Amino acid sequence: MIAPSTSPLPTFVEDLLREQQDMTAVERFALEHAELASSPTERRYRSLLPATAPQPGQQYGFEVDLDRCSGCKACVTACHAMNGLDDNETWREVGLLIGGSFSLPVLQHVTTACHHCVEPGCMSACPTLAYEKDPVTGIVKHLDDQCFGCQYCVLACPYEVPKFHAAKGIVRKCDMCSSRLKAGEAPACVQACPHEAIRISLVDIAGLRRDVATNDFLPTAPSARFTIPTTKYVTERAGGTELRSGDEDVDTPEHNHVPLMVMLVLSQVAVGLFIAGAVTTTSARMELLAAGWLFGLGAIVTATAHLGRPWLAYRAVLGWRTSWLSREIIAFGALQAVATVAVVCATEAEQLGAAAADGIAWLTVVMGLTAVWCSAMIYAVTPRTYWALPYTATKFFGTTMLVAALASGLVGTGGTMAFSVVSLVALVKLIVESRQRHAPGDDRWAERSSRLLYGPLRDAWIVRCGLLMLFGIVGPMLLASAHPSSTVAGGLIAIGCLAAEFCERALFFRAAAAPRMPRGIAG
Amino acid sequence: MSTITPPPTSTFWETAREWLHQRDGVLSRELLLEPSRFGLGQLPSRLQPDAVAQSTCGFCSTGCSLQIHLKNGEAIGLSPSGDYPVNLGMACPKGWEALTVLDSSERATVPLLRNASGQLTPVDWSTAARTFVDGVRAVQAQHGPDSFAFLGTGQMPTEELAFYGALAKFGLGMVHGDANTRQCMATSAVAYKQAFGFDAPPFTYADFEQSDVLIFIGANPCIAHPILWERVMRNTLRPEIIVIDPRRTETAMQATQHLAIQPKGDLTLLYGVANILIERGWIDRDFLESHTAGFEEFADFVRDYPLDRVVRETGLTATEIEKLVAAIHQGKAVSIWWTMGVNQSYQGVRTAQAIINLCLMTGNIGRPGTGPNSITGQCNAMGSRLFGNTSSMLGGRDFTVAEHRREVASLLKIDEACVPSRSSWAYPEILEGVRRGEIKGLWIVATNPSHSWIDQDGFAALREQLDFLVVQDMYATTETAAIADLVLPAAGWGEKDGTFINSERRIGVIRKVKRAPGQALADFAIFRLLAEAADCGAMFREWSTPEAVFAILQRLSIGRPCDISGINGYAMLDQQGGIQWPYPASSTTPTTERRLFADRRFFTADERAKFLFDPVRPLPEVCDAEYPLLLMTGRGSVAQWHTETRTRQSAVLRKLSPSGLALEIHPADAAAVGIEPQDQVLVTSRRGQITVTAFLTETVGRGRVFLPMHDPRVNQLTHAVFDPHSRQPSYKDCAVSVTSADRAPRSAGPDRLASYPSKVLR
Repeated sequence: MIAPSTSPLPTFVEDLLREQQDMTAVERFALEHAELASSPTERRYRSLLPATAPQPGQQYGFEVDLDRCSGCKACVTACHAMNGLDDNETWREVGLLIGGSFSLPVLQHVTTACHHCVEPGCMSACPTLAYEKDPVTGIVKHLDDQCFGCQYCVLACPYEVPKFHAAKGIVRKCDMCSSRLKAGEAPACVQACPHEAIRISLVDIAGLRRDVATNDFLPTAPSARFTIPTTKYVTERAGGTELRSGDEDVDTPEHNHVPLMVMLVLSQVAVGLFIAGAVTTTSARMELLAAGWLFGLGAIVTATAHLGRPWLAYRAVLGWRTSWLSREIIAFGALQAVATVAVVCATEAEQLGAAAADGIAWLTVVMGLTAVWCSAMIYAVTPRTYWALPYTATKFFGTTMLVAALASGLVGTGGTMAFSVVSLVALVKLIVESRQRHAPGDDRWAERSSRLLYGPLRDAWIVRCGLLMLFGIVGPMLLASAHPSSTVAGGLIAIGCLAAEFCERALFFRAAAAPRMPRGIAG
Repeated sequence: MSTITPPPTSTFWETAREWLHQRDGVLSRELLLEPSRFGLGQLPSRLQPDAVAQSTCGFCSTGCSLQIHLKNGEAIGLSPSGDYPVNLGMACPKGWEALTVLDSSERATVPLLRNASGQLTPVDWSTAARTFVDGVRAVQAQHGPDSFAFLGTGQMPTEELAFYGALAKFGLGMVHGDANTRQCMATSAVAYKQAFGFDAPPFTYADFEQSDVLIFIGANPCIAHPILWERVMRNTLRPEIIVIDPRRTETAMQATQHLAIQPKGDLTLLYGVANILIERGWIDRDFLESHTAGFEEFADFVRDYPLDRVVRETGLTATEIEKLVAAIHQGKAVSIWWTMGVNQSYQGVRTAQAIINLCLMTGNIGRPGTGPNSITGQCNAMGSRLFGNTSSMLGGRDFTVAEHRREVASLLKIDEACVPSRSSWAYPEILEGVRRGEIKGLWIVATNPSHSWIDQDGFAALREQLDFLVVQDMYATTETAAIADLVLPAAGWGEKDGTFINSERRIGVIRKVKRAPGQALADFAIFRLLAEAADCGAMFREWSTPEAVFAILQRLSIGRPCDISGINGYAMLDQQGGIQWPYPASSTTPTTERRLFADRRFFTADERAKFLFDPVRPLPEVCDAEYPLLLMTGRGSVAQWHTETRTRQSAVLRKLSPSGLALEIHPADAAAVGIEPQDQVLVTSRRGQITVTAFLTETVGRGRVFLPMHDPRVNQLTHAVFDPHSRQPSYKDCAVSVTSADRAPRSAGPDRLASYPSKVLR
């Protein structure tokens, strides 16, 4: 206790500041709460855990009683605190379903975390084998030290579960507090729900597979058919039909993934140049192959820049059995190696003979097209409608063909025919892209993509179309008609086409509406 | 030799394997859970505590106990206390994040004084204290002693609130002071005081579990008091849950009956229900005759509220009302709970008393599971009501009663002349005083009226009228601190000791578990310093520590309804899991849950509860052609607290809040003015206009719109009308218009309204 009367004000201030920083009192009363054997909470959550371990054919799953979930969101903060997550990192989210009828409106909060799917999209996508599904519990666990931060799992999961932690350069996610469960303790969310709305139950895997076609899972949520989620949402309330997610109408462009965008265009330009190189029999072959080789190298370097932990890039090959990303990386790696040989062969064509030079040049073409196919599959297998194979393949092979034809035309192979092909490819791309914008179909996510292209991405779309029409359609037509073409005009058109394709690829990422669980209100 | 050679720590193959497939490492170990002590289950190793301490949460009035995890004497985390009778091991997100909000770059860390060029610049505490005293004295010398007023809070511990009120009034000679509890609980306090003779919420939380009929009026505990809803969910009687609220809220969703009443139709409904109960004789005659006063007049009065009138004025059907009446009659233990929907109203006191009247009539008081029960707002609104020394004097006394003044002066050993004999002006009267030029200085502690006061532009204009504005707060960035002449940096919850009183009258301890940033001082220390600087330190010599002040408050409570003289210091509060008042010296061991009026003796002179009532008044601002929609305000989400000075400091709480300001509007009302989802819309009232995002939802009902109160712009719209008894602002009923803010119509594309059910658009 400080006695102020005898001391002047500044001394008293010093005493008060010292007393404020003194933390000895806390130890005194803390001792009163000596060892507690078990918390009363433990008695409550006993009934929220399964009595037995999963039998063969079963696994653990979250079970959420929607009628008991009142939207308090304690589960999110408890998970955050009890698992020691970083600042704004959350492994559980609470979304909102809204709608119903005028006479009986519905307001339903929905707590959601990893669904520990029967066929985890994250796991089959991972190029480094950083995901494991426990053979007994079915828990999908992420090996943080194995991850190199490619974020492909983020794109592959229909439920936005894996979250990229930029500072650590890896992805992290819910593991159902597997270590707690092992010790008979409930997961953080289960023990922190004041209303006992979340429990761990045993689910029948065969049953889930069987019901996948009819499984509603949750209104507005992505279909269960992609990955067969094991979370069970139960409710006795009626009126699940006319529900909307709280963010139904919020159209925010998706992440642009700049390195991926650049890598895709560069790699497809490379393959296009390899095609032009193989087709031509003139001395331009060497230049075309060398240019392709340089673009290929650029693509590989850019792709590595996308990784959160690029020094572990070598691990990318491990997932080749299931991951299209692994396959793409292997394909482009091999292509680059073969292209090196092709360039050398083209330089030494006279010594080696035309057949060998032709052969290796065409080998780069076959390998290049395979690699582009792998690229397309990476996106096509994710649950984003905007990336469905026909669209993605048209875009990716379109870029390749556009470059192949333009390069051929510019080096004088194929004459006016080459330029006509450029215009034709550009036209096809334009039609496909417009169709995605104008007539997206019934799919809710495709509709959102369409709205994005009409809304926040409208200007970018106009620029894309303008560039392609000017440099991909009109320009090549002029070149075709004005023989012999000027190098300056040709170069300008090539740059213009490249710009148009970068725009297309930026929109490819920005407009690819990701399926997601319902979210809350956004203002 | 049979000894087995231990394998080398790392063979080539193991290294290679790890190089390729690394199952363990720094990143995995960071999240690796290990068993911890104190019954806390598993925690990551860096979060393993070496001691724990209990502290009552400092956000809302539920009064949850949080177990603070300590390492080397300082907090490193927390979890809800498992054995505390309030929260039973649970907490809402605000509680879970209570420590996070303390670490913020927005904290006030040094006193700030506005210099000649208008900038807030750091000064030392001695200068700040002297400037404060000089400023107060200068204003008082020029404009009279009552020209300097103070505006406090329900967020500080009782000991600090008492010190604040005592220093301001007894030490510095101020007359007028009030707290932000005026904005939240004044109505309930006045309603109880008039009806029961003392501000005495009668219930205990066990009542949630013991009712077979629970009625919630203007309350959304599911997100405003989630841990109280925990208690409702533990009710095993399969209770009837009736929610009376214009909106279909989370709580309405959980109800067995939701009465989507017209805003402010509650008083008419309650009178109508009383009328039917009386007509049918569904009342407790014996109780009325022995323990109440004024029933016959009330019975006469409610004849003016026949069913057809109630149907007409509330928008409810006769069947809905009949079902409500039947539920009250059939219930064995009926409890009626209310919050801001009732309190923040121009006729809130009479509405709360209409609830009290229903309970009195049907004998639903003093028994388990019954009661007219006000769920309080702030963590220590109840402490403020009893010991804030603002409208009522310490211990719920009256400044105008000479006997009370003598008691307090004698108990505090101060000169009776220091105790003002006039009642303090209420918050709106103080601000009116500023407008008239009678109040020229304000000392604002732990509240943010620049954001929260109704009709905000009016408040901003008042700033210009003040000669000296002092703001004492944890954060230097509040809207009010930004316009202050002097900012005093305060330590917050978790950085100081004291006690809170929760909704069920439970006194709980808060503990200092973290170091305050920079030179921030506990409000308690600031008051000591200012007392010293104002040369009235001698008056507060005994007020040396919070626990010493608790002993003073106990002395002040002797013989009052809130007598707590039997509590043996903070240690006893800690051991017992908090103690509900009253707890006089004569008490034996406290039972965990206690309610008032089991003996049916009220605190009025004749020990009878009073029936109080007035005719229903029309809406102060009726919707018309120009302003066709009624704007209601309220809580946005569980993760937001009032003006968000604290909650916005937590990244997780921000994530759990709506990302912007969204206006809830019915799809049919939106369609009528051509508004599509997510459109930017102008919300215009007679006082202001703001631009927000439209969120179309059927839950808000036709003809009304809703805005969360947390955005500083919302109170540019609200209408400064007050309850005549409680002077509480009526935040939830102003007329507005809503129009599209987009000049150009939306470009082509899918029609989003098409996705809405056609029947709601008709």
